[in-house]
This record gives sequence, C-alpha cells and structure tokens, in this order.
Amino acid sequence: MSFHKIWLILRSEFWRRVRSKAFVLATLLVPFGAVLLFAAPALFGYLADQTDEQTVAVVDETGRLADSLTATGGEGLTFRPVEAPTDSVRRAVRDGRYDGYLRLPASLLDGTGEATYYSVEGGGLTLRSDLDARVNRVVRRHRLATAGASADVLSIVDSDVGLATRKLSEEEGTTDDSTLAYTAIGYVMAFAIYFAVFFYGQYVMQGVIEEKSSRVVEVIVSSVRPFELLMGKVLGIGAMGLTQMVTWAALATGGMAAIGPVLALFFAPSDLGASPGASPDAMREAAGISVPTIPLDLVVWFILFFVGGFLLYASLFAAVGSAVEQQQDAQNLLLPVMTPLILPILFLIFVIESPNATVSIVTSIIPFFSPILMVLRLAITSVPLWEVATAFVLLVGTFVGMIWVAGRIYRVGILSYGKTPGLREIARWATYR
Amino acid sequence: MTKRYGNTVAVDDVSFSAEPGRILGLLGPNGAGKTSTIRMITYIAVPDAGAVRYDGRTVGPWSQQRMGYLPEESGLYKRLGVKEQLVYLGTLKGLSRATAADRADYWLDRFDATDWADMTTEELSKGMQQKIQFIATLLHDPSLLIFDEPFSGLDPINADLLRDIILELRRDDRTILFASHRMEQVEQLCDDICLMAEGDVVLQGPLRDVKAQFGQNTLVLEFDGDDAFIDELVTAGQVRVNTRSAHRAELTLADGTDARQVLNRALDRTDELYRYERVAPPLNEIFVEVVGEAEAQRMREEAAAGAA
Repeated sequence: MSFHKIWLILRSEFWRRVRSKAFVLATLLVPFGAVLLFAAPALFGYLADQTDEQTVAVVDETGRLADSLTATGGEGLTFRPVEAPTDSVRRAVRDGRYDGYLRLPASLLDGTGEATYYSVEGGGLTLRSDLDARVNRVVRRHRLATAGASADVLSIVDSDVGLATRKLSEEEGTTDDSTLAYTAIGYVMAFAIYFAVFFYGQYVMQGVIEEKSSRVVEVIVSSVRPFELLMGKVLGIGAMGLTQMVTWAALATGGMAAIGPVLALFFAPSDLGASPGASPDAMREAAGISVPTIPLDLVVWFILFFVGGFLLYASLFAAVGSAVEQQQDAQNLLLPVMTPLILPILFLIFVIESPNATVSIVTSIIPFFSPILMVLRLAITSVPLWEVATAFVLLVGTFVGMIWVAGRIYRVGILSYGKTPGLREIARWATYR
Repeated sequence: MTKRYGNTVAVDDVSFSAEPGRILGLLGPNGAGKTSTIRMITYIAVPDAGAVRYDGRTVGPWSQQRMGYLPEESGLYKRLGVKEQLVYLGTLKGLSRATAADRADYWLDRFDATDWADMTTEELSKGMQQKIQFIATLLHDPSLLIFDEPFSGLDPINADLLRDIILELRRDDRTILFASHRMEQVEQLCDDICLMAEGDVVLQGPLRDVKAQFGQNTLVLEFDGDDAFIDELVTAGQVRVNTRSAHRAELTLADGTDARQVLNRALDRTDELYRYERVAPPLNEIFVEVVGEAEAQRMREEAAAGAA
C-alpha cells in the first residue's frame, strides 16, 4: 500500500470539495441558520414578555380576598378589584379595558367553590397556571389565618423551596455546573456525530457513484490500488468534514464570546437587571444566557469517536456506492448501513434518563452505536475509563475489519456495470480473488 | 492466464505476447474476454491462474507506473478543470506536479487544446474529452500503452491526428496494445493480431502471416454493366459476397471453385471489366472463417453501434 498515493488522493478530494461554492455556502449558512433558529424564538419571547402586560378585573364576592390578591400583582400581571355589577365588567372586558375578569365566589372561603376566569381570548397556559397559583395561595393563606394558624405557620406555607442540581466529580468535590447544560451538550454532540456520519458518509457514497458512473474510476485504478483510492477518498472527505465542524465550533465559540458585547451595545445593564457598570459577561449572565464550559477530555473523545464512527460508516457507504450506478438504486442496499446508525437515536432518551443503567452501558460499548451513545454518556455522567477504552478499542477493531471487507467489495463493485446486485451477490464479491 | 467471475469463465487459459516497437491488435466481440484480459495486464484485476509478465517481471503497482491505459468507455471528473485533472492523473502515475504541468502544457498545445485548460470537462464535447483522455494516457511517458477503442467519438481529422501520434509512439520502441471491434482500423494500424472469442485466443501472429495462412481466396472485381452474374455464382454456391455495390464486388471463393470461371463469367456478362484481382482475405473474412458467421455478424453490429 502506498501512503503517498493515498495522500495524493486525499489532498485532491479535500481541495476539490473545500473550495467549491456549495461547501463555502454550507459552512457559512448553517451557523447563520442555527442562530436564527435559536435567536428568533428567544427574541419573540422577549418581545412577547414586553407587550404581554395583562390586567385582570377581580369581582370579589367573598369581600376578603381582593386586597391580598392585588398585592401579589406585578411581573406582567395586574389585578384591579371592581365593585361594578357583572354586566358592566363584562362589557369592559369586551371593550378591551381589561384582558379578562376573575370571579371569586363566596363559597371559595370554605373550600367548596371555584374561581372562574372570563376572557375573550381564553388567556393561554402561562396565564392560567399563574392565576391558579396566586388564587390558591391567597385562599389557602386566608383559610389558615381564619383557622387560627400562627404567623410562623403562615410563613412556612408561603416559603418556596428551590431545587439546585450539582454534579459530583472525583477531585474537586462538587462543581456548580448543572446537569441540564451537560445533557444539552451531550445531546448536541450525539446528534452532531449522527448527522456528521450520515451526511459525510453520503458524500463518500455520492463520490464513489460519480466516479463509477462517469467511468473515470477505471483510469484511476490503472494507476493506484482500489484500496488506496477508497482510503484517500474516505480520509479526504473526513478531513473536509472535520474542517467544516471545526469552523462551526470556532464560529460558535466566537458567537458566544460576542453575546456579551452585543448585548452591551443594545441594552443598558439595568435593563437586564445587572448592576450599573457590569461587564459584558456579567450582562450576558444577567440576561440568562450561560456559556457552558466543555471539558477538554470530552472534546478529545468527541473527535476520536467521530473519526472512528465516520471511518466505520463511510467505508460501508462507499461499498454500497460501488455496487450501484445511480443514487436511487442504493436505497435497498442502504438499509443494513442505516439501521445501526439510526438505532442509537432511538435509545437516546433512555440513555439520557438512565445513563448508568446496564442497557445504557452495554449499548454505548457496541461499536456501531458507541460513536453516538458513548459520547452522550461521557457528557452527562462520569464514565469509568475502562468502559470508554473498551468502546474505543472495539470501534477501532470494527472499522479496520469493515474497511477491509468494504475494500474487497469496492474493488469488484466499481468495475461492475449493469443490473444492481442484491446483498447476497455483494457478499460474494468479498470472496473474489 | 485464466479469470473467473463466480461461475463464469471470462478468460480461459489465454496466452500471448506483445513486442516493443510493434502494435498488437486485440480483436473480438463483446464478451470475448478482451476487457478482462486488459484488466489483468493493467493489474486492475488479478488472474485466478497464470501470470502477466512485463519485462520478465509479474505486473504490479510498479508496472502501472510505466503503463498508460485508455479504457473503452472512460471518463473524467466532470467538475474538475482540464489541466488540473491532467496534473492530478499525472501525479498518480508518479510524476511531480511541476513535470505533470509542463507535459500537460506540451500535449494540450499539440492537440490545439490550450484554450480548454481552465474549462471543466462537462463543458467539453465528447470528442474533446476523448482527446484529453488520450493526453492523460500519455502524460507520464509510458513504455506500454493500451488503447481500447481510442477513435470512438472522434471526427476524421482528429482520428488522423491520433493515428499519427500512435504511429509516432511505436517508432520510439514502445509496446502498444490496440483493442477494437473495427477490423479496418486494426488492419491499418497493427503489426500483430490476437483474435479472441468466448474467452479464448482463436488466432494470433503477425498480421501478414495470418493473412498468408488464409491464401488468396478473395477476388476484387470492378466493372460496368449487368451484375446478375454474381447472383448466379452465389446461387451455384461458387462464391460468397463480402461487399457489393453497383460497380464493385468483393467475393470469397468457395472451396474448389476455379477463379478463372469467375473471370470468364465476368468478361462474358459485363460491358466492361476494369479490375480483376486475387488478394488475401480481409481480416473480417478471416474472422468469419475462424469463429463463424453468427459471431462475426454480432461483432460488425457492435462496431456499427460503437461508431454511431
């Protein structure tokens, strides 16, 4: 095997793709699209928060609750006690002077009645749960006070208990990063590997089909061994994929770093509830946007498992591509390649919920699944080194074996024209001399 | 060498050799095993039994570097520029980028194709692409050249240019293999021939010897006037018609037919006889004799389809 030839092919495959308009556009547009996708809902949410100042009229038939309910107002919800007869309140709501009115029947105080909210539009879920909580609290407090509960008891009932989650790590005791952020990171990484393997694998298959259907392949294999061509192509497209992902990671990091300064351009610190003169980073924190730090070893494992998974699947995509002359003919043959790639996506939620269950551990070590599931587990839980090492060694062993088999199929496939072969026929190719 | 694919024997214990400074014509219809044979010579496939030797050594990656191969149906990378493509293919044959670029310039100029250097191949016509592929085959100055139907898709002017270059390569003592369906092309170009049918070599040797072996059983007649005498000769089973037009006929004498009888008949029946010549049979007729009419007919049809 000539590494020089593999290098020549790798370089050509890489440059040919990286300088194409399609690649440049995709590399720049995808992050732009992602920002839009994430930023747009946040922006709309923010705008909606600003405009959604709700005013609710309170028709208090108990005569005792209106004041305490009004006191809970604020944060976008204002209560206005009214004495007027129901008909005129109704009219006021229809005219738009109030967003709705809340009727508190006298029976509420003995715990039998129920409060009713009337509005033209129906309110929405947030408002509903908000009203529910406030009315409940006010009624409960009043009934407790009437029953002679002490001030201590009242304050206990009023208090809210927060729930914070912390991650245990071996050296430093606790770290203050939340599980949620890590779950998100693991989720993003798992999907990144899934999509990367899927798309770049498809690229490899497309490249093989193009070479075969344009019949350039016979000229190439009269100069290099088919295996060298296969490896050069897979590695060249892999290098293209890594370039693209590194660019995206750099853009994402740059984007995160830019959030603070950008916020500082548009808002005063006090708008976001930060102290005057706060640093851009502090403003970003105050705006509720946290930038999780990704541990270096996780990044390293991510790259290793991506490369391993890509090599494993790309060689299979190449073998399928070599057997057909057009993309459409590949559908049936792709089934055995796509199935093990999609399966781990089905396990994703289970592994997120129970990352240390036996099923999770076993599936994350299986070579065809490990690029996705092991990376996910590495992000959300502490995985013993032997598990990661076993998974990786198995993955390397499997891709070496698969590339060998794929190479033998590829060698025959690229020169076979005519009817699309079945899986059995393709398996037989691997045994040809 | 022998090559099997599954249960089919594509090439069955075939043996022949090609000499430097000569052109060997490899002939035969599709399915005769030509492509499989060429793929073993080019080390694209490995024989199941036997061996291919070049300069006394079994072929391998080393011989691929010294060999140029133009496959029958071949192509180029569609979206790659002409010159970049040539340089890439040259480096795969072991040239440095600089040398490959210089040689590409030389050959593009020779083919009047310098203007295409920066065009992508999908912008080129079929004939232009064929020229570029021909250049790619020569770029690394190979000592063994294999051309499979090199003239397909070329207009007569460019076909002549290509033929001149092939003959020039032959003068430099290179070994040239020329595979074709087209008998007349093989007859014009080749020094030796190797005829294949159904995975076997059925006839081989220097073209002149092969022809001599079949004797002078062919008559060429040119005449004015009534040509009904030819039909009579055919009905009587004395001759077979190879080609025939209003004033010209090429006939094969049946065994035992005296050529004088044909001459007498022609003198009697035509107004004027300009030409009467006894010659060696054309390759096409030799092929008919060796492999039978059905197989020969099939090859003529394939040649016609290939030329269209």
